[in-house]
Amino acid sequence: MIINLIRKIGIYFLVLIGLSILVFTIGRVIPGDPARQALGPRAPEQVVQALKEEMHLDKPYYIQYGIWLKGALRFDLGKSLMTRRPVIQDIREFLPATLEIVGISALLMALGGIILGVLATKYEGTWLDGIIRMFSYLGVASPAFVWAIIFMLIFGYALPLLPTTGRIGFATTAPPHATGMYTLDYLLNGDIQGFKEAFSHLLLPAIALMLGGMSQAARITRSSMTDNSVKDYILAEQAYGVTERKILLKYLLRPSIIPTISILSLDIAALFGNAFLVEQIFNYPGLSRYGMQAMLNKDLNAISAVVMILGIVFILVNILIDIIVAYVDPRVRLMGGDSQ
Amino acid sequence: MKMKKVLSLLLISCLLLGIIAGCSPAKESGGTESEAPKAGEKDDMMSIIRMTQDWPTYIDPAVGSSFSCTISLINLYDPLVFPQTDGTVAPHIAKDWTVSDDGLKYTFEIRDDIKFHTGNLMKASDVAFSMNRMLDIGEGYAYLYKGVVKEAIALDDTTVEMILEKPFGPFIDTLVRFMVLEEDVVMANLDKSVSTYGEYGDYGKQWLLTHDAGSGPYFAKDVKLEEYVLGEWFPDHFLGWEEDAPKYFKISAATEPVSVRTAMANRELEITDEIQPLENYNTMAKFDGVDIIAYESGTNMNLCLNTKKAPTDDVHFRKAIAHALDYDVVQNNIYPDSVRPRGPVPRIVPGSNLDMPIYDFNLDKAREELSKSKYADNPEMWAIDMSWCAEVPEQEKIALLLQANLAEIGIDMEITKNPFGAMIADAQTIETTPHASLVNVAPSYFEAGSMIKTRYHSSSTGSWEQMEWVQDPELDAMIDDALATTDRDERFKKYNEIQLYINDLCPTVWVFEWVEKRACQTGYVDWQPYLLLQKGEKFVYPMGYSLYVRNMKVYPDKRAEFSQAK
Amino acid sequence: MINENQAMPQRIVIERDKYEKYKKAWYKFSLNKMSVVGLIIVMAVLVLGVFQPVIAPFPHHAGKFVNYNDASLAPNSTYLLGTDIFGRDILSRILFAFRGALTMGIGVLLIVVPIGGVLGLIAGYWRGKPISIFIMRITDIFLALPPLILALCVGAILRPTLFNSMVAICVSWWPWYTRLVYGMVTTLRNELYVKSAELLGASKAHILFKEILPNCLGPIFTKMTLDMGWVILTGASLSFVGLGEQPPTPALGTMVSDGAKFLPAQWWIAIFPAISIMLIVLGFNLTGDGIKDMFSSEE
Repeated sequence: MIINLIRKIGIYFLVLIGLSILVFTIGRVIPGDPARQALGPRAPEQVVQALKEEMHLDKPYYIQYGIWLKGALRFDLGKSLMTRRPVIQDIREFLPATLEIVGISALLMALGGIILGVLATKYEGTWLDGIIRMFSYLGVASPAFVWAIIFMLIFGYALPLLPTTGRIGFATTAPPHATGMYTLDYLLNGDIQGFKEAFSHLLLPAIALMLGGMSQAARITRSSMTDNSVKDYILAEQAYGVTERKILLKYLLRPSIIPTISILSLDIAALFGNAFLVEQIFNYPGLSRYGMQAMLNKDLNAISAVVMILGIVFILVNILIDIIVAYVDPRVRLMGGDSQ
Repeated sequence: MKMKKVLSLLLISCLLLGIIAGCSPAKESGGTESEAPKAGEKDDMMSIIRMTQDWPTYIDPAVGSSFSCTISLINLYDPLVFPQTDGTVAPHIAKDWTVSDDGLKYTFEIRDDIKFHTGNLMKASDVAFSMNRMLDIGEGYAYLYKGVVKEAIALDDTTVEMILEKPFGPFIDTLVRFMVLEEDVVMANLDKSVSTYGEYGDYGKQWLLTHDAGSGPYFAKDVKLEEYVLGEWFPDHFLGWEEDAPKYFKISAATEPVSVRTAMANRELEITDEIQPLENYNTMAKFDGVDIIAYESGTNMNLCLNTKKAPTDDVHFRKAIAHALDYDVVQNNIYPDSVRPRGPVPRIVPGSNLDMPIYDFNLDKAREELSKSKYADNPEMWAIDMSWCAEVPEQEKIALLLQANLAEIGIDMEITKNPFGAMIADAQTIETTPHASLVNVAPSYFEAGSMIKTRYHSSSTGSWEQMEWVQDPELDAMIDDALATTDRDERFKKYNEIQLYINDLCPTVWVFEWVEKRACQTGYVDWQPYLLLQKGEKFVYPMGYSLYVRNMKVYPDKRAEFSQAK
Repeated sequence: MINENQAMPQRIVIERDKYEKYKKAWYKFSLNKMSVVGLIIVMAVLVLGVFQPVIAPFPHHAGKFVNYNDASLAPNSTYLLGTDIFGRDILSRILFAFRGALTMGIGVLLIVVPIGGVLGLIAGYWRGKPISIFIMRITDIFLALPPLILALCVGAILRPTLFNSMVAICVSWWPWYTRLVYGMVTTLRNELYVKSAELLGASKAHILFKEILPNCLGPIFTKMTLDMGWVILTGASLSFVGLGEQPPTPALGTMVSDGAKFLPAQWWIAIFPAISIMLIVLGFNLTGDGIKDMFSSEE
């Protein structure tokens, strides 16, 4: 199993290289003079020339790629046109923000989806099951930004329980930068009030993001559990007199969870994508919003960096899911291969 | 089993966190303070003026020149002279000045009691350093001084000499945009790893993104790029402080209408930006203690026509467009309170020609002009593309109106919504500049010469302030001549002629003279424009100066009395 | 004595209903009432979109038209779903936007399914060979990114038009079909009928397209139906951000993002397009479920 994992990591690594080439090529395709753009139209010509040489724009593409790659390995990803400072600093600031949201979202999605799926199976055929099924249909069909809009409407106006913009209130200042995640930083600083505030700002965007994935997880858990519930071994357990609850949670859940977890990895990926839209609506300054601005402003370095980072994070998540699946599915462990 | 699952999920979360915590060593992410106050310490922070303004905001005086930049700059730095509400300038850093007879040498006597935020006294060498730095970097407001100022020399601790290349009438007026930085601080924070400016490295631009080296009434306490600029009061400012003056100011980038409206309702915002949609202003006007304050700011809304790209390179084609826009709809429905424009210089700017013929909305005249153009027989050429600024949603209304109007005379206009950053990029070459672009331009200093030169002199082509690419040598000569005239009346006479010339050239459709609107919490904030309007007094402010926080007053106790508005 | 007529049993011919196959399919489809509901929704969207110029009360509002006197009106008897800030009827614009959405869905799938499918066929049949490894690695690279992000990236680089946003979605969508078909082909290539075709010397093209492909059609069609909804959703997300059709052409995502600014006071500008998106995706999802049932093996 370990060997399989290492093989997979090797493939992922190759994928990353390919991704970097793709991203770099896209970046260089856009017309325009990045050096001139960075300095403005009235900068003296020799200053622009100096910057051009610094950015290696006069060398052929593959050399530029090599230089970029070397720089990327040293975490030097160039300068952003929008913020006028190294992209890596922007990423350090904004990535944790998005990770906060996606992290909470993923957690809620997994837990919520599985719990709802279990409930639907337990009360199969009753009104609770019907409600959960209806809800999951709707949830899957609505894009995250529609939920975001609905939440804005409800919580921004009718029920002002939760804040709808930013990471912290207008009146608060940010905690000292330790991990970059406000919730953790406030905690590390011993500031409970700040933690509560940062957390409350996270909730709405996170929930809007995860509803689609949660509905899907609930659906799949439910259908896979009902499929498995007619299998022979369940019948045997019932004949043995094992309690309903134990059957449900111990013998039924574990094998049924596997397809859910596989789908979850796709859904977590989708979270990163949908975070673009949700962050825009809730005005949450995360990496996705930064990437969005970069794309609209044609800020090459920022776009390349954001895409690479997202690719890396996604691959890490995939590896994690692979580990979890291996842990949960004994077939994988014993056979040393995929559970397909 | 579920327990195990929860445990493993927790473990993974900790793993992820560990990775991230490991990747980001604790480093300061901005702000001159080493310790940010805890979220609980709010008492002093309540004496704050919070504003919204669209980004990017560059707080480096040699780099920033947009609205949001100027607001930060005038609060963090001090300029050489300070504009007054009647359009003139008064001494500020410079106590007194003399001009040589040939108009080429300006000698300034500066005050000896101005302290920088570091506590050091300002010297004439700092002034000279700041001017030379601005000329070398060439961004922001440098265009006002490039080709005008040859160099600045400090004669002693309180005397600075500026040598001009040629006489420049409004030179003193332009100095409201010249901020003084502390030389020692900048030199101590150069990034020597790059050699963009030779031995000066990056000239401190990197550090100045998030710090200030100024002497202004506020210092930059915390700057989070793309998010906010937080300023804290500088007790030793040379002008002193009045009671109830705000102790903090914060400019946030959150200009989305919903967040602005919510923040105003929750009393979390004191003054809004000026680019909110009309519907939002109407909603906010109903809030208790909030007023919408509108005043002419000498800005006009321009539809810049690219004069070097077919078909807008033909003057008759351009005039046809000018006759095709329904100005009444603009003034009545889209921007109520706006003023019908008369050419390139808004009427409240000194030197504006008030006797100009205007292009009225007349489709017959439009068709007539079209038939006179060189594309009259090629209707397939009658297609243009147009950009409007994504950050100003109201512009879309004008864009669609114009599109519908032009469709009636057979011109096909394609609209693109462009973020301002992209518009700046597009403006750099003739090919990438669209046929038509909607842009608001304010005069950098309060004189017609500013508008005229910024907008129509060939030195400004390639920037967002001139997307017409006029490049007319005759016009350049007229402008240079006028600006070199030191006698005011003479100069203004020449301005009038220039404005008539430009009007005839019709490189721009002047859509309206803008009345700047902001919502303000007048219930607990004293803001000059509001007070002056109440008194019925006339006033003008160059861009940014209306938000000079030092002159405002805020009453935190009164704020507490206001409940959340609906 | 053997009567010649009696010795040979009569050939009994059973009259088969010509449409039996289709009736069977429909029966399976309609077992789940929700699938029928989905189909009704999809048909409604199609009809409304195609016949928009005739059905919509103000079809020209979807073009170059502004009327600031009637701007921001709540739903009333003239304007059933209200007007937006430019005075245009929202109902007519939503109906017109259906066209763009459907065009995008059909267009993208028409390109992506053949290309992705053929690549998957090749990769699956020649599994283990260099060509297969090459194809699947490229697929992995494209799948290494969350789908929306690649589409946003490409869409941002190209000029914003309907065609370009379709291109952007195609770029990020094709790998899914490759993977789907690859998975199926690797199983099917070991089936008996494939082996016998190979032995008989059938050409590769015949094997791929006449033997293997028809047996993959079920999951492919199911996925296509479901994908119609997802592609339209992705298109709406792209236009939400501004990378799709430009004004004045209406697009559902653009209408939602424009209207979001005016919540809650002028709620109708954003909510109705948002509900339409939900309905369309729901419709295709339910129909997709039905199609899956339709193709499920006979019990």
